[in-house]
Amino acid sequence: MSLRQRLLLALSLTVAAAVAAVSWTVLLRIRHVFEQRDQEETALFVSQFQREFQHRSAEVAAAVERIAVSEQARSMAYQLDQKDDPALFLTEAASLAQDARLDFLDIVGPDGKIVSSAQSPARFGYIEPIPWDDHPTFLNTVDLPDGSSALGIIAGRTVDVLRINTAQAVRIVGGERLDQSFLADLPVAPGMTIGLYTDTGQSVSVNMTTPGSASTPHPGPFDPSRLAGAAGPIGGAANYQSLIDAARTSGQQTSGIVNPNGPAGPREASLNATAIPLKNQAGNVLAVLVVALSRAGMVDAQQHIRAIAYGVAAGGILLAIVFSLWIAARVSRPIEQLARAAREVAAGNWNVHVPEHGHDEVSVLARSFNHMTGQLTSQRERLIQSERVAAWRELARRLAHELKNPLFPLQLTIENLTRARQLPEAEFDEIFKESTNTLSAEIANLKAIIGRFSDFSKMPKPELERIDASDVIWRVALLHFPWIIKGVNIEGADYEGPEKIGVSVHISTQPMKLDADPELLHRALSNLVLNAMDAMPDGGVVTLSAEPRDESVEIRVADTGTGLTPEECERLFTPYYTTKQHGTGLGLAIVQSVVADHRGSITVESRACSTENPTGGGTTFIITLPGAGQSTEAAS
Amino acid sequence: MLRRSAISFLLVLVGISGWARTRPHYGGTLRVEIAGDGITSPDATFLHLVLDGLTRTGPDGTLQPALATEWKSSNGERRWEFTLRDGVTFHNGFPLTGDRAAASLNESCGGPCPWASLKTQGNALVFAGDAPMPELPWLLAEDRFLISLTDAGDGKAPPCCIGTGPFQLTGHRGPSLILAANENYWGGRPYVDTVELVTARSVRDQWLDLSVGRADVVEVPPEEVRVAEQQRMTVLSSPPVDLLALEISNNGALANQQLRASIALAIDRAALFNVIFQKQGEITASILPQELSGYAFLFSVERDLAKAQALRGGVKPPALSLGFQGNGSMQLAAQRIALNLREAGFDVQVTGATHADLMLRTIPLASADPAAALESVLRASGKTASLALTSPTAGYRVEHDFLDRKTLAPLLDLPRACAVGARVRDLTLSSDGTPDFANAWLEVTP
Repeated sequence: MSLRQRLLLALSLTVAAAVAAVSWTVLLRIRHVFEQRDQEETALFVSQFQREFQHRSAEVAAAVERIAVSEQARSMAYQLDQKDDPALFLTEAASLAQDARLDFLDIVGPDGKIVSSAQSPARFGYIEPIPWDDHPTFLNTVDLPDGSSALGIIAGRTVDVLRINTAQAVRIVGGERLDQSFLADLPVAPGMTIGLYTDTGQSVSVNMTTPGSASTPHPGPFDPSRLAGAAGPIGGAANYQSLIDAARTSGQQTSGIVNPNGPAGPREASLNATAIPLKNQAGNVLAVLVVALSRAGMVDAQQHIRAIAYGVAAGGILLAIVFSLWIAARVSRPIEQLARAAREVAAGNWNVHVPEHGHDEVSVLARSFNHMTGQLTSQRERLIQSERVAAWRELARRLAHELKNPLFPLQLTIENLTRARQLPEAEFDEIFKESTNTLSAEIANLKAIIGRFSDFSKMPKPELERIDASDVIWRVALLHFPWIIKGVNIEGADYEGPEKIGVSVHISTQPMKLDADPELLHRALSNLVLNAMDAMPDGGVVTLSAEPRDESVEIRVADTGTGLTPEECERLFTPYYTTKQHGTGLGLAIVQSVVADHRGSITVESRACSTENPTGGGTTFIITLPGAGQSTEAAS
Repeated sequence: MLRRSAISFLLVLVGISGWARTRPHYGGTLRVEIAGDGITSPDATFLHLVLDGLTRTGPDGTLQPALATEWKSSNGERRWEFTLRDGVTFHNGFPLTGDRAAASLNESCGGPCPWASLKTQGNALVFAGDAPMPELPWLLAEDRFLISLTDAGDGKAPPCCIGTGPFQLTGHRGPSLILAANENYWGGRPYVDTVELVTARSVRDQWLDLSVGRADVVEVPPEEVRVAEQQRMTVLSSPPVDLLALEISNNGALANQQLRASIALAIDRAALFNVIFQKQGEITASILPQELSGYAFLFSVERDLAKAQALRGGVKPPALSLGFQGNGSMQLAAQRIALNLREAGFDVQVTGATHADLMLRTIPLASADPAAALESVLRASGKTASLALTSPTAGYRVEHDFLDRKTLAPLLDLPRACAVGARVRDLTLSSDGTPDFANAWLEVTP
């Protein structure tokens, strides 16, 4: 990643992070403020609900009190105490409830059984199901004729009649229904939704003998139809389930976010809802008051803030782009020029120069770079010069060495000829003839030496063609070991040659296609075979092998000679280096040159003689040439 | 002497005035108020005013002649011949003939008739059946066999309700029907000139009207009899003539007879009798009342909740509907039965529908004859074959077999009652609870 890109990325991230942090903080604060406002409004509504509940409770208590002290109730109580037939009062509760405007009214006889019930007239004779103690008013469920029950504010009162034992007195239990009409009387803030979930719809079993045993509801499964507001059923009531269930099971006020349109509904429709459990005197949850406030205002504000944040972030990123471009123009361009120049230097072109502007750090760096490339160039020229001198010296040394050997016999021969002039003609002729033979041989030797130097200097460019490596190898093998049969691998063939040198050939039968110059390759392999034969003056086995690798062909030429020391291996391919008495040191250099011209490589593995290995480990030359098609690709 | 003469004169005046007060007077308008329409059974007050049957049930429960003066059977009671009363005319002046009576009876019969064929033979009607019809004279006294004119003579249907009864319809004012005395009534002209029959009047309003003198005869439901008596109203009450029973469907969830038996056992009849119906009538588990059959005590009326729950055997049937036919007390009784059944483990909801899994209704015991009454009830429950009961034992057997199917649970035998105003005299109830307005008269108020 370039500096310009890094700058752009860093600046963009910085701007985006800063905007995100500010937006997140603002959004959090907005949410906090709205939630606080919702809590305050919920608390205000709950207090109003409690005031209304207390007001209704007082009304119910007063109504029950009026009934209990009425002449009608006292007369009835007296008659019941006198064992009058309770059936005569079957409809009494209905008329009393109507007069007192109560929704529920039970007249309970001295035996605890219902004498008359306004809301469920057929329940006469059953034990009064509403548990009743000293609470002036309380919340409870009231059984209805259809088997369901309703929620009501209940009050109880004993009918006082003279000479009647209070413990066996007639009791009045009355109440007012607590339903959506109750909610309709409460002031509701704009955006507020209120609902009452009554846990009273399930059938209630009846019991003839146990007082207060019938109306203790157990929280059943959530039923959305039981959640109603002041105007009727609340839409999307099913989505309140988790909130209401939490309040029903825990008995504690529970808050949460509810979306009447479901979890996938728009956020504007979501509500901050609070579920307040309403309990009876035993602590059982009988209903849940739901107060929900619209989050539309908060969501609108958040969306507004978010839109502004997106705008600011986009503008900031644009500015970051512009700023990064400007910074790049000031900072990154010289650095990029330096980087390009460094790549040029790495590629071998040391003659590069970067512009130097100003006096800042980049300019100092540019000047240092230019100074460095100048130094490198001069040092390289000096190095080339010294290497050239060294090469010439080495060449002169080798030439002197090579030429000195034939010249010495020449000098001796000429001196013999000079001395031989004093001898008789016959002897002179014999000496002359031997001397001329010697001179011819040595001159031929000199020509050979000069020819090898000439050949090395005139190594031709390879003319590539598609060949099979096995053909070249068999050709070399047959040249030096003519008794073998082409195409038949052999192992340790008989020593049929004069130097007791045998041959092993292991050539893969798989095709080993190469793009190579067969003549040059033949020449290189022949050099290696000749070297191998030279390395075994006491006889041995030359092994020629070839086999395909992944995308190349590996050719091995091995001998069983005394091997080479590591130092010899290191210098083996240095021109004019030789371990032989009459070698020119150009053979392996030519081999390496040919292999290199074919984009191949050559390595040597050898183990010299030692006390552990007195016979030596032999030497193996390994040539790896790219397969057909690979060499051209590599060349390209 | 003068003093003695004056005293004697005063005694004679008192005697004359007392005799004059108890002697029936003709004239006046009798104002009768009812909650129903006066036509639909069991409260067919209007029909009783304008129509007659071939026979009728007397106040003492005996069978009496009406449009038929005599009847006799032959061929093992398979053939009955009813001789029509001479000189009887319909309200429009048409004479009562055998053909007109037969046409009315055939039209009234509707579906399956108790007889196989009905023919006229001079001034007589001849009923023939495939089986003995010992109860036929009693059946013909039922409301459904009242005789009305079915043909105006021109092939068209006559106006409503032209009969031979003591009163004839002359007009109406709103919900009130105006009926004038039939001057040519075969039983003699009624004492009152007019009967104003106010229909569709709530019982509470009827009582209010009676208390302020706007009504002379008002209805008193059985459950209100005690209240009426407490309010010192003059109440006329009949013996039990209506059977309060719970019809139990034998289809769907209640195809299981044990469930039906469980329902029958779970009902607390005593609560219905003592409280809702204010101890009027009698508790029963049989179709016919004890005084009619003599064997009603053999059917247990006790509630056995444990056995009901055991019979249910843990089976939780789906929610059952319980309908009722009638007024508020019937609804209350239905709610009470629903409570009883919930105790036994049934989920029952009271409904106003006329078709429900359980149906609480009153079945009129249409006859004072046990066999006829039993056949009438069974016929109303879908059993059509003639019973031909020859003894109470046979009646018990039939009733037992029928009730053993648990499709009908008799609960109470209820009377009918009415309250009369102070000026009404000699109003009596027949054995089926129908007021005999023809023989009632009004005291003349100065």
